[in-house]
Amino acid sequence: MEAASIAHGGVHDGHGAEHHGPPPANRSSRAEPQLLGMFLFIISEIMVFGAFFTAYFFIRVSQGDPWPAHGTTLPVGVAGFNTAILVSSSFTVHWAEQSIKRGNRFGLKAGMLLTFLLGCSFLFIQINEYANIGFAPQDAAQQTIFYSLTGLHGAHVFIGLLLLLFVTIRSFRGHYSPEEHRGVEVPGIYWHFVDIMWLVVYTTVYIL
Amino acid sequence: MLNPLRSEAEAFRFLLYALAVAVVIIVIILAARAIF
Repeated sequence: MEAASIAHGGVHDGHGAEHHGPPPANRSSRAEPQLLGMFLFIISEIMVFGAFFTAYFFIRVSQGDPWPAHGTTLPVGVAGFNTAILVSSSFTVHWAEQSIKRGNRFGLKAGMLLTFLLGCSFLFIQINEYANIGFAPQDAAQQTIFYSLTGLHGAHVFIGLLLLLFVTIRSFRGHYSPEEHRGVEVPGIYWHFVDIMWLVVYTTVYIL
Repeated sequence: MLNPLRSEAEAFRFLLYALAVAVVIIVIILAARAIF
């Protein structure tokens, strides 16, 4: 990659530097590849959630049945407590990222470990909620879309937990520094996306 | 303009805004249900 830069004869040392010729192939001149990748991935996942929300509103509005379905109740309180857990985990991952920016390795390790544990707690409570909610996804369209929408989010939480696990392990191995901590920042962005999406899901499914 | 996909710090700020909006919506809905 350095050879490619030298071949173009330019000095690529930051924004505003002299550029001679076209930029390197397959590289955005405005965004770092890792951030661009996560940007595009999150945008595509927002579209997937959009499709599921479309199905949710279609089932809820077009059929005219009461929500939740007759004879069923949604555990609003438990889900609300779960919301608090997930929001807290966003604070801890932010703490971790801010810590490594300042060279505070203890803050990074503690923040990442707390984030991972809070995320696991969220998923565990969600699974427990599924086991005790009193209806199955195949019972009716309302039940199906409830499981589908919350389950889709749960799958995203699972992916996020995998990323957080990798970051936590690498944090304890001392892989990050104030100069190079993109590996903490990019999963952090994804985790905030998961949290924001849960706020939308919770407000729509449990409150509205 | 705030771009939550540009950095983690901006994503966190966007989360705080989203949280505030969600709380306001929930309060309005619960208040409306209590009144009507």
